[in-house]
Amino acid sequence: MFRSRLSRRAVAFGAIALAIGAIGGLPSMASAEDVIRIGAPLPITGPLAPEAIKQKQGYDLWAAQANKAGGISVGGKKYRVEIVYVDYQSNTPRAVQATEQLITQDHVNFLFGAFGSGAAKAASTVSERYKVPTLAATASSSQVYDQGYKYLFGTFTPNDTLTTPLTKIVKAQAPDVKKVAILARNDLFPLAIAQEMEKSAKANGIEVVFFDKYAIGTLDHSATLSQIKSLSPQWIFITGYTNDLLLARKQMVDQQIKAPVVTMIAGPAYQEFIDALGPSAENVSSAAWWHPAEQYDGKDIFGKTSEFVKLFREKYNSEPDYGQASAALCGALFQLAIEQAGSIDRDKVRDALAKMDVVTFFGPVKFGANGQINSLDPPVFQIQSGKPVVVFPQAIKQGDLKLGVN
Amino acid sequence: MIRPSIVLVALLAVIALLPLAGDAYALRLGTIACMYGIFALSWNIVGGFLGYPSFATAAFFGFGAYTTGVLMTLGASLPLALLATLVASLVGASVLGAVLLRLRGHYFAIASLSLVEVLREVVNNATDLTGGGMGLNIPLASNASILGDAIFYFYAMWIALALTAAMVVAVSASKLGFGLACIRQNETAANMVGLNTTLYKSIAFGLSACFVGVAGGIYAVWVHYIDPSDVFDILYSVKPIVMSLMGGLGSPVGVVCGALVYLGLEEVVWRNYIQIHSGLLGLLVVLLLLFLPHGLVSLRGRLFRRGTGHA
Amino acid sequence: MLAAQVLVNAAVLGCLYACIAIGFSLVWGVLNVINLIHGSLIVLGAYLAWGLYQWTGILPWYVLVLTAPLFFGIGYLLQRLLLNRVITAPVLVTLTLTFGLDLILNNAMIYFFKADYRKLTLVPSLGSLSIGGVVVPVDRVIATAFALVLTGLLYLLLRRSRVGRAVVAVRLDRDAAVLMGVDVKSIYAIAFGLGAALAGCAGVLMALIFPISPLTSSAYLGKAFVVCVLGGLGSVSGALAGGVALALVEGIGAVVVGPSYATTLSFLLLIAFLIVRPQGLLGRKGFE
Repeated sequence: MFRSRLSRRAVAFGAIALAIGAIGGLPSMASAEDVIRIGAPLPITGPLAPEAIKQKQGYDLWAAQANKAGGISVGGKKYRVEIVYVDYQSNTPRAVQATEQLITQDHVNFLFGAFGSGAAKAASTVSERYKVPTLAATASSSQVYDQGYKYLFGTFTPNDTLTTPLTKIVKAQAPDVKKVAILARNDLFPLAIAQEMEKSAKANGIEVVFFDKYAIGTLDHSATLSQIKSLSPQWIFITGYTNDLLLARKQMVDQQIKAPVVTMIAGPAYQEFIDALGPSAENVSSAAWWHPAEQYDGKDIFGKTSEFVKLFREKYNSEPDYGQASAALCGALFQLAIEQAGSIDRDKVRDALAKMDVVTFFGPVKFGANGQINSLDPPVFQIQSGKPVVVFPQAIKQGDLKLGVN
Repeated sequence: MIRPSIVLVALLAVIALLPLAGDAYALRLGTIACMYGIFALSWNIVGGFLGYPSFATAAFFGFGAYTTGVLMTLGASLPLALLATLVASLVGASVLGAVLLRLRGHYFAIASLSLVEVLREVVNNATDLTGGGMGLNIPLASNASILGDAIFYFYAMWIALALTAAMVVAVSASKLGFGLACIRQNETAANMVGLNTTLYKSIAFGLSACFVGVAGGIYAVWVHYIDPSDVFDILYSVKPIVMSLMGGLGSPVGVVCGALVYLGLEEVVWRNYIQIHSGLLGLLVVLLLLFLPHGLVSLRGRLFRRGTGHA
Repeated sequence: MLAAQVLVNAAVLGCLYACIAIGFSLVWGVLNVINLIHGSLIVLGAYLAWGLYQWTGILPWYVLVLTAPLFFGIGYLLQRLLLNRVITAPVLVTLTLTFGLDLILNNAMIYFFKADYRKLTLVPSLGSLSIGGVVVPVDRVIATAFALVLTGLLYLLLRRSRVGRAVVAVRLDRDAAVLMGVDVKSIYAIAFGLGAALAGCAGVLMALIFPISPLTSSAYLGKAFVVCVLGGLGSVSGALAGGVALALVEGIGAVVVGPSYATTLSFLLLIAFLIVRPQGLLGRKGFE
């Protein structure tokens, strides 16, 4: 009895040891020569996982495109591109650790920033110390860039560049909008953008009749929405991630809450938001840093905006949104900077990024002294007939803002 | 009791030599190893000695991180902030322990789990003090080199670990440790022979909290930025349990070994299996519980015993 | 008007919460196992409903017929093959085991379904009923009705059938049940299977209402915890009472002190209940 139990244990231990051994197999090591390795810490698991998938799609699209063209040419020699992914489990400190691991263990040449403002900011302390040029694809808060760092660059303009044009266009086209209700997810980016909205509204003489935040993971908004309904605002502004906004919009319909203007950030830019809501997505407005309807003739690897959209569709069978585009842009910008510098020396590439002044498929790219892009006008758009339609800025406008969300 | 303590001291001494390896990333892992060691040793007081299934580690950790963080943004120095965190965690948890440890089994497990949720939401809503969902930046001007910084935080965490170990050894050798064992075996009987069980349990809960709080404080300063969902992460509550189950419940040396093994596994799995690492971790937990319910230590003990039997 | 609307919302939501929690409560009550995989099973049920509607247009309530036996089988096997081996081990072990299983299932769902949020949107939409200014969404009413029917069926099963009475007997006094010749192992497996079936069915119904993603499993689990403690373990009526109580606290809390405090309130209430009234609103005293 004892012996058999013992042998069972020994077998079990052997199995576990084997499993560990198998798991501990060699990490894939590409030959160090002629490869440019870019580290990408992403929240592949955990609450931010959907966002990570988008960013990964953007990076992968660029890498595939660059490698298809034979790689990046540096002083006449072609370098292949390899992106090294690390999952930081939607946990900010883990992003810091992942960044250090990428630099010291995986020996990446350059870095993409972690997702969002919080993690990108925390991780940038590491990349700055090691002097690794970092391009953040999805960090918009100016606090990220106001740390006096030299190696951090970002492709999103500050949050107020979204809410200000939005308020302006609502004020111009819907002068009857006097009251706005703002509901925000209690989380870094959604809360920051809600606070900007509050400021923009006040600056434009719109009364903020309701401002509150809901906890992360809220399963039901009906009580809050009933309260908003009783205040009868003409503008309802809700921030959150896709799941929050899907739920909130569904419950607005359920509760028969109607308003001339309903704005949601950041869901409506995503195709799955429109797919999931169907007709109830109609006339919901939003703002984002990029939109597939834009028409730029870029000098980067993707060229025209329409060219990028086409490539993306071919590869992923869906419409690109701003997150995916910004990620691809970051790759393309590294390529431009490396080619410009004619070297993969980190300092030279950093200087090339700082000096960059180029039109891309994403729009004109020029970084301010703090490293944040300052050359873009983020578009305001609205879901009309199941499609996002740009209503601002004038140059790429596809239609007028329609009033009435039922 | 003497021999395990010597093993523990030797183990800690070996860990302390890590900076000789020199790499900043190795030091980062070493710092996390010390942190996990603190978690496991501290959890072991309530979970191992006392036999109560506590899920409160994440609550203590987050509480410590935010106490230190907030005090430092208000201008306190690091040692002062950590000391205050230690005292606050000890007192706060002792009071809570007196109330929560009246519950047993699943009820206690769930109450301790809820503690994490409640504290997280309280921090989330106290926006003026903690920054709420926007997170908290902890200012610490440091002009040291990358390596100098890494060594500093490593030793800070190591000292906290050494103190935890000393505390645990002291507890297990003391009347308190004996009392806790009595409660674990038969609480009603312990009560009847005149043991002040409430007091004992309350002290145990406080002791299991104080160094986890300090670890949270060091951690907050180390990573410069904390937000509620990061530090009040329920995984911090589960990890020490898995470590202790790996190493063997109730044995301080065992749980420290468990912490090291766990960290090693986590690192290897995390690094090599981006998409499925949490599933693999789950698989390991399941295999461990089904086949080695008394931890890796039991395996050694069994083999050893068989060896002597043959001799 | 606002008050009436908030109360009606809470009543409907409360039934949904009960539906989420009832399987969890059953397993906890009968097996004395906190089943952390419950949340992920709900999500799996939701994916099933979503997938079938997407590809074949089968309406979710018909999917229930398929879900119940399928999930019963999953649960039965999980219990028989894995949980049974440690069923006599301390609380900690069973809890951690289900935690490990949950990590596996959740990761598998992220891997296969991606973490993107899906939504089962019925076309045409069912709309809402408006009675005297108080609005009730029809899909929630339907889900509530099914939730009530399911809980009713469970109640009947436990009270009227032979197997059900054996389950109740094991829950009340395991040792006595053994003496009476009840095969405890198979009763445990049946109870766990029932719990899983209820989770799957809850998932199918929730698919009508909430966005679907593996990431929502912890939210469901959190609600199940609170509902069980509020209502008392292992009883059908307790789950209903707990669900409605929770929804009321959340709804009123959201309006009075703000939506970000709703969760805090519910967990504070949970701790208070554990300490003051661990048997729940309707439970019997002295049950652990």
